[in-house]
Amino acid sequence: MADEITITIDGQEVTTTPGKMVVQAANDAGIYIPYLCYHPGMKPYGACRMCVVEIEGQRGTPASCTLPVRDGMVVNTKGDEAVKVRDTTLDLLLSEHPHGCLTCHRIDLCGPQDICLRHVDVVDRCVTCPKNERCELKDTTRFHPQELVSPLTYQYRNLQVETKDPFYDRDYNLCIVCARCTRACDELRGDVAIGMTERAGQVLVGTVMGDSLLESGCEFCGACIDVCPVGALTETAYKWERPARTEQSICAECPVGCTMTYEVNHWERVVRAVPELNAPANMGQACFKGKFGFEYVNDKRRLRKPLVRRNGELQEATWEEAIAAAAEGLAPHRGSAFAMMANPRNTNEELYAAQKFARTVMGSNAVDVASNDRPGIVEGLQDVFGYFAGTMTIWELADSAAVMVVSANLTEEQNVIGVPIKRAVRAGTQQLIVVDSREVELTRYASIWLRPYPGTDPVLLGGLLRCIVDNGLADMDFVNERAEGWDELVASLGPFTLDAVAAETGVPAERIEQAARVYAEAGPAALLFGGDNSVGGTRRTMSRLVAALAVVTGNVGRLGAGVLPLYQGANGQGAWDMGLWPAAVPGHNLIHGSPEARETLGSLWGAPVPLEDGSGNRHMFDRTREGGIKAMLMLGDHVHYEDGTLGDVLGGLDALEFLVATSAFSSEITERAHVVFPAETWAEKTGTYTNVERRVQPLRKVAKNKRVDSRSDLDVVCAIAGAMGAQGFSWDGPPQVLEEIAQVVPEYAGISWERLLRERLDIVTTPTNEPQPTQVAYTGNVLTGLQWPCAPEGASDEPALFVDRFRNGKATLQPVAWHPRPEVDPQFPLMLAHGRVLLEPGRKPNVTVVGKRNRVQREERFVLNPADAAAAKLGEGDAVAATTPDGTERRGTVALSDAVPPGVVSLTTLFGELAVEVDSSDRPDPMNHIARLNAAPVRIAAAGRSTGGA
Amino acid sequence: MTTTPRPHGGSASPGSLRERARRAIEEQPSTTVTVLSSLLAAQDELGYLPYEAVDEVSLCTGSSVNEVWAVASFYPNFRFTAPARHLVEVCWGPTCHVLGAQPILQGLVSHLGLDGEGDTEDGSISLKYNTCLGVCPHAPAMSFDHELAGHMSLDEAVTRVEGIRAADMERES
Repeated sequence: MADEITITIDGQEVTTTPGKMVVQAANDAGIYIPYLCYHPGMKPYGACRMCVVEIEGQRGTPASCTLPVRDGMVVNTKGDEAVKVRDTTLDLLLSEHPHGCLTCHRIDLCGPQDICLRHVDVVDRCVTCPKNERCELKDTTRFHPQELVSPLTYQYRNLQVETKDPFYDRDYNLCIVCARCTRACDELRGDVAIGMTERAGQVLVGTVMGDSLLESGCEFCGACIDVCPVGALTETAYKWERPARTEQSICAECPVGCTMTYEVNHWERVVRAVPELNAPANMGQACFKGKFGFEYVNDKRRLRKPLVRRNGELQEATWEEAIAAAAEGLAPHRGSAFAMMANPRNTNEELYAAQKFARTVMGSNAVDVASNDRPGIVEGLQDVFGYFAGTMTIWELADSAAVMVVSANLTEEQNVIGVPIKRAVRAGTQQLIVVDSREVELTRYASIWLRPYPGTDPVLLGGLLRCIVDNGLADMDFVNERAEGWDELVASLGPFTLDAVAAETGVPAERIEQAARVYAEAGPAALLFGGDNSVGGTRRTMSRLVAALAVVTGNVGRLGAGVLPLYQGANGQGAWDMGLWPAAVPGHNLIHGSPEARETLGSLWGAPVPLEDGSGNRHMFDRTREGGIKAMLMLGDHVHYEDGTLGDVLGGLDALEFLVATSAFSSEITERAHVVFPAETWAEKTGTYTNVERRVQPLRKVAKNKRVDSRSDLDVVCAIAGAMGAQGFSWDGPPQVLEEIAQVVPEYAGISWERLLRERLDIVTTPTNEPQPTQVAYTGNVLTGLQWPCAPEGASDEPALFVDRFRNGKATLQPVAWHPRPEVDPQFPLMLAHGRVLLEPGRKPNVTVVGKRNRVQREERFVLNPADAAAAKLGEGDAVAATTPDGTERRGTVALSDAVPPGVVSLTTLFGELAVEVDSSDRPDPMNHIARLNAAPVRIAAAGRSTGGA
Repeated sequence: MTTTPRPHGGSASPGSLRERARRAIEEQPSTTVTVLSSLLAAQDELGYLPYEAVDEVSLCTGSSVNEVWAVASFYPNFRFTAPARHLVEVCWGPTCHVLGAQPILQGLVSHLGLDGEGDTEDGSISLKYNTCLGVCPHAPAMSFDHELAGHMSLDEAVTRVEGIRAADMERES
């Protein structure tokens, strides 16, 4: 290649590319230069001076992490002068870090209980440090042995170890002030929840006025822990556990599909999760869920044995007995009396087998996945584009000139998608438009924040579209060439005049126009939408509008442009792909819309696809109460039945004649079941997940909870099918199921298990016996997964769908309907827009210590439009109580602001509250039960006195 | 960090620390407004930097509170606790040192129950060392609320300090 240059390092010729720093070039070539502040995921910094080298023809010893390579450069990493500088640097570092062990010749021999002839304090020993054997400082001193004159003297800082915050322990006595953590927080995450404090010899990492992380705006993503080279920052859970081995797999908490390296100890417990630095979906990032939410797989409360109901009581049984009981109980309920509910942590293979079982063995189309409570957000995309899927990749967002996020609490629910957006906004290369009646983290980063009245998002999007059409901002070349249905769409936009939309949504007309211009004119623009504030039934319109906006402005099929639906559930995309949906069969084909696909499937399966309509999860439990559905098979225990989105789930289950549940834990569902199977969690499974960017990623078995006699849902479904005498369920493991999927689902053609293991990024690193940041040490090869539709092996990946054509050739623009504001119950005249942010500027939270833990407390503040406040005879600072129809009451004070649209009450809680709640929860799997922030009707009345907050 | 204006318009009651800090920051005379200039303006107004002032600086400059804190904590000139009501300075320049500043200093420190420079527990006196008050012919020198006093002795210093305290008590009662 033309842009390759050659440099010489320690006499070895190294070919590299311009723009790289010397330390990177050396590492790539397998030549180790010690470093402590440098991290491959971050910008060069040059603080620790451990990586100094000598350059021929240049004076002094420059730091190789900030020195760009130059053609013909001759680098000497082992020169006397450089080594001397490093020795002094390390000596100085060790003068403030407990180093009794680091400078001892017995460093590799001692155990925790050994009597130390050097009288090193127990707390100062390496063996009692949580980062022992994962410590880069220890490795570096091994590489660079120190001959200290008085090896046991050092200045111990004597600081209190911060252990009261959720998830994190911070021991700044061990900090070497490399600033990796503060840079990660600032540069990678855009939060700046920690910074450098004081100066000169007192410099340390800290928060404003030494506050806890709950008060400093921390999102508990763990990025600082992942880069910390010493024991200063550690995860609280399993703090002292050492990994026996590691395994790369996919996080099961949300549709981003982060590749993580899981550390597993000698007892087969998953003890730590480290996001993979070079994974295409997460680029070394994770969030509080993925980093800290895996503990439930090790839980003692896991179900251990199959249970069968005998004489009204659940009793332990063998697997054979339970399978026979399930088969016998399900057999009489074939046809529409049967329903299948899978969970979003099921693999593609399990989901495929589940719907095949329901359709071919039971003859029912009532199949759904528990997280799919908002199918509307992809139905509209299918109407226009042909697929129930988004069109772009996550990290393309860094290249978008404009991003519009509609009603999605993205930084909590699909956290990592927010990272490229926040970075680009901070770098000034991106304009962010947020459409949300709630205040969420991203509204802070928005250049335009539109706050429509809850439930009027589709109207607002229609207004934006009409504004684009009316002002001649549409890309007519693209529309004419690539889309049909333009005239019908434009005709249906009749009612969406700027004034009408402004009146309906409460968003000023000029702001709508401004947003429309930014989205249409900025350059490649992305549209992300969740529909959190929408009312059921309007989401399909919303997603049609989203697709139409993208098509009309030509924002599909090019880098940085596209749409992404923001749903919940790790494998929601897989569920749509696998046809785990009443209306569609595998391959994004509607049962009634594509008879050929139905025929083909029927002949492949050896049984016809049933034609009768099945119920989706929002109606399933109504149907059981009505007696239409008599038997159910529920996979996993992850139905979000607490939040009411699926109606009265437990009442529905009570009405069943026969319920089979697989579950990792006992729950209200298993209590009602007739047969219960102990299910495997994602950590025990092999299979694939498909993420929000349609990337099929391999899930590899991480560990096996030894207390539990569990099997995967695939095994359970196949065994029941076998017991019922069905053919076509005798696969030899998930790879064979994937083979069948690749035949049945055209988008998965070319994907196989073997190929998924071959598709990887090999990163050349220095040998592992030399110090490496954990994230780098784990990064030898990363399985990148395959995005569907997948290119033939060997071809370079094509990340954007629809570059040349849409699924059916052209995009079919759909006419859109005007959905007026939801009707207001006069009892509850206002809408509560409940948002959540990391930190609210202008309001200091308080922290109280309950037991041993910090809890954040703050008085609630209800922000009202002055007109609403005047009507209710409320003024700034008045104590009020807000009551929702379900009877929950919150107390707080009133604040007035014109920025809140009439009819809306805005309330902001702190992310810290959620972090505490999740961290202190007794639930085995608390992350899965985080309630979504939905708008709710509310009544506000003056209260005697405020009791909220401290 | 961000360009969004304060989300709720920010309610700060008139005369509160937050409101005073905000006004001082907004009305600062410097042509280039930085984190540092804003911190100085806030400290000039309030005499110290409470959390509210740090938070207001972060809002006005679009930085995170932790970034502002990184700057504020760097400079020893900023203080983060309310100063005492009266400032007593003891000069320990070379001339004062030679002519007996040390016994005065040590005597005052122990009289006020301090470990060195600092504020008394009752919040009445801030004791500071001054490198030179500029009145060497009158050494040893002190200053009481910026009023210079020369040819000091320990007794004289204690009398003056107690006088200030007594006047304070009287005013309060």
